[in-house]
Amino acid sequence: MSELIVGPFNRVEGDLEVRLDIADGRVREARANSPLYRGFEVMMQGKDPRDALTITPRICGICSISQSAAAAFALADAAGAEMVPMGAQVAALLHAAENAGDHLTHFNLFFMPDFARDGYAGRDWHARAVERFTAGAGSAVRRSVEARAELFHIVGTLGGKWPHTLAIQPGGVTRTPTASEKVRMRATLRGFRRYLEEVMFGAPLEDFAALESVEALLRWNTGDAGLFFEIAADLGLAEMGRGSGRYLSFGAYPLAGGRAMAQGVFDGSVAPLDTARITEDVSHAWMIGDTAHPEEGRTMPDEDMTDPAYSWCKAPRYGGAAFETGALARQVVDGHPLARALVDGGVLARVAGRLLELARLQTMMEHWVDTLDTDARFMVPVTIPREGRGVGLVEAARGALGHWVRIEGGVIANYQIVAPTTWNFSPRDAGGVPGPLEAALVGAPLSEGEQTPLSVQHIVRSFDPCMVCTVH
Amino acid sequence: MADIETFYDVMRRQGITRRSFMKYCSLTAAALGLGPSFVPKIAHAMETKPRTPVIWVHGLECTCCSESFIRSAHPLAKDVVLSMISLDYDDTLMAAAGHAAEAALEDTIQKYKGNYILAVEGNPPLNEDGMFCITGGKPFVEKLKYAAKDAKAIISWGACASYGCVQAAKPNPTQATPVHKVITDKPIIKVPGCPPIAEVMTGVITYMLTFDRLPELDRQGRPAMFYGQRIHDKCYRRPHFDAGQFVEAWDDENARKGYCLYKMGCKGPTTYNACSTVRWNEGTSFPIQSGHGCIGCSEDGFWDQGTFYDRVTDLTQFGVEANADKVGFAAAGVVGAGVAAHAAISALKAAQNKAQSRNEEV
Repeated sequence: MSELIVGPFNRVEGDLEVRLDIADGRVREARANSPLYRGFEVMMQGKDPRDALTITPRICGICSISQSAAAAFALADAAGAEMVPMGAQVAALLHAAENAGDHLTHFNLFFMPDFARDGYAGRDWHARAVERFTAGAGSAVRRSVEARAELFHIVGTLGGKWPHTLAIQPGGVTRTPTASEKVRMRATLRGFRRYLEEVMFGAPLEDFAALESVEALLRWNTGDAGLFFEIAADLGLAEMGRGSGRYLSFGAYPLAGGRAMAQGVFDGSVAPLDTARITEDVSHAWMIGDTAHPEEGRTMPDEDMTDPAYSWCKAPRYGGAAFETGALARQVVDGHPLARALVDGGVLARVAGRLLELARLQTMMEHWVDTLDTDARFMVPVTIPREGRGVGLVEAARGALGHWVRIEGGVIANYQIVAPTTWNFSPRDAGGVPGPLEAALVGAPLSEGEQTPLSVQHIVRSFDPCMVCTVH
Repeated sequence: MADIETFYDVMRRQGITRRSFMKYCSLTAAALGLGPSFVPKIAHAMETKPRTPVIWVHGLECTCCSESFIRSAHPLAKDVVLSMISLDYDDTLMAAAGHAAEAALEDTIQKYKGNYILAVEGNPPLNEDGMFCITGGKPFVEKLKYAAKDAKAIISWGACASYGCVQAAKPNPTQATPVHKVITDKPIIKVPGCPPIAEVMTGVITYMLTFDRLPELDRQGRPAMFYGQRIHDKCYRRPHFDAGQFVEAWDDENARKGYCLYKMGCKGPTTYNACSTVRWNEGTSFPIQSGHGCIGCSEDGFWDQGTFYDRVTDLTQFGVEANADKVGFAAAGVVGAGVAAHAAISALKAAQNKAQSRNEEV
């Protein structure tokens, strides 16, 4: 048996190190270390609660709208208020554009370049992967960066600036779009659809969203998605990095009539989410304290970094069990037939879940732009109470994001954030149960002499980790 | 340095046409505020100068600077700038991983010793011997110092590298420290903002690569061409400020009329940046245009100036002509920065000369 430390990882957001115990050419045990800690929760104490809207987006420059939306919903909850319907719709539009952009970036810039590596030379598809996805230079890479920049005109129009958009507030959004902006956004979305249909999927999006079985998925042979499925079939990515089959989704895009994608937990079947069952375990994190519900949670780093802890990341659990979160989880909980067919998880399932969501998001965004009522109110004033508690639950691209705030004497007394990758890349808990990534890595095959095993890279990146959100 | 390609070689290799190249040169000249006579100079420089290697490292940060950068509307930036600087080493975007990535960093440093630009995103935390940010098993501060040692100049991207930004907000749990407090013997150019505007980033880097020197800096070490004016000075809502017409509450009648956001806490009057002229997301908009006040993210210590929704009370500057330098004279702690900026340019030159003579020796 030997030990291998893989890291630092690039093409993931932030810093990550994975320690592997290896026996008989396979990973026997894995430990994920999030080596970056900044202390957001500590610096928010004593601040004006409204400043959470500005501070929390800085946790992450990739999913800043997710953070700002979670903060806005947490403050609204503390005030017993709700966003006005059109405000919620614009917030959903801003958030969906960010999430779609994230999925695009993950596929083109972070995940696919691994198949252009020399290690795969000689495979039928290798030359095409090199041409399309070589890091920084592939033709697909450049085209996707361009498509995303164009899509983000919508975020510019509605949010003023991206990253770190300020427009989302507890009562709605600061921006009232005009009729002409609506027309422009429609044109932007038409352009994005064209990109998706010509480049990513090579066919109408509705056809992809209508897929129902893994067999049909693997037969999809057009666009860059088709190239991925060809590679996935050749390398057996369906079996690689399988998960627990337990999925958690807070439900994406809260609108006046409910969430656009369902909220719930899946463990064989869907059950309603009960946030009281969420805890954060710190037994293997360099943190002082006990297992606690996020409302009572503290963030006190253990500066001695004592064993057996090995990460700055806490271990969130639902009903004591580890749950996977992300696009696949969202689609499984939402009940999409293809996602249910992929419920065993794995590299193929996670990436396919993201592509499926990308296809569905386009239709949703088009609908939200079409139904914008520019004469309606987009924000109502919300007075933040001097004493109160609130929770904001949203779905970032990478999965379930929750903010828990406690306000005392008009300032923040406690603020706890549980991010998607905190769930997915959590260390072990007090019972020794590994986090979802750690479990998924067990059994990953290694070739002779591999220092940064390709299988490990694929599995890690299939989660699209965001390490800066993880610990914050 | 014969083994290093010119910018133009690199661009040609990326399939960029001559026509696009010339367009890029003229738009670059315009973006940098230079006249048409500079276009052939830029073109000539790019055809003959060896490409300047860039090493891009990440400390405590959120990658918003990279995110902003790759969304630039700078002419053909997706192709030209990315291929031009080539990011010989970049934690986030590069192909190699793990040990291979560390080796790539080492290779780049050795190959271009004294001749590369180090772009720093984020900052090092110094508490607990730097253990709050570890890459490759070592504190980031060590990687930063190591990479800085042989750099000819350093760009501090964003508020994190320039001032410490959010992780340095009170009580600064990790003792996050801006780059210039750790590296004191290299020319450093600060490009603050959270994040900086993409066009400002590409503009700065293009200027440095093309002219081989730092752009003119203000007293705080920021490029004057982008940070010379307050957002307030060029804000399209400025007439409403002058007329005393203000938004009093979110989404009120005045908000719909586009009145001034000063009473909603806008920090435009005390913030030096190009948001109101260059704008964001390919020139689409900027925060004030979205109906939210400016939070002053390109100013030092903006996190700890009280809540973002309280109005600025120490507003004394009303002249459009006031610039960061004039205000800077009144502020403590920046005296001598102008001299330092000048010295920085000389140091950059000296560093180059040294690099060249070393290369000749080899």
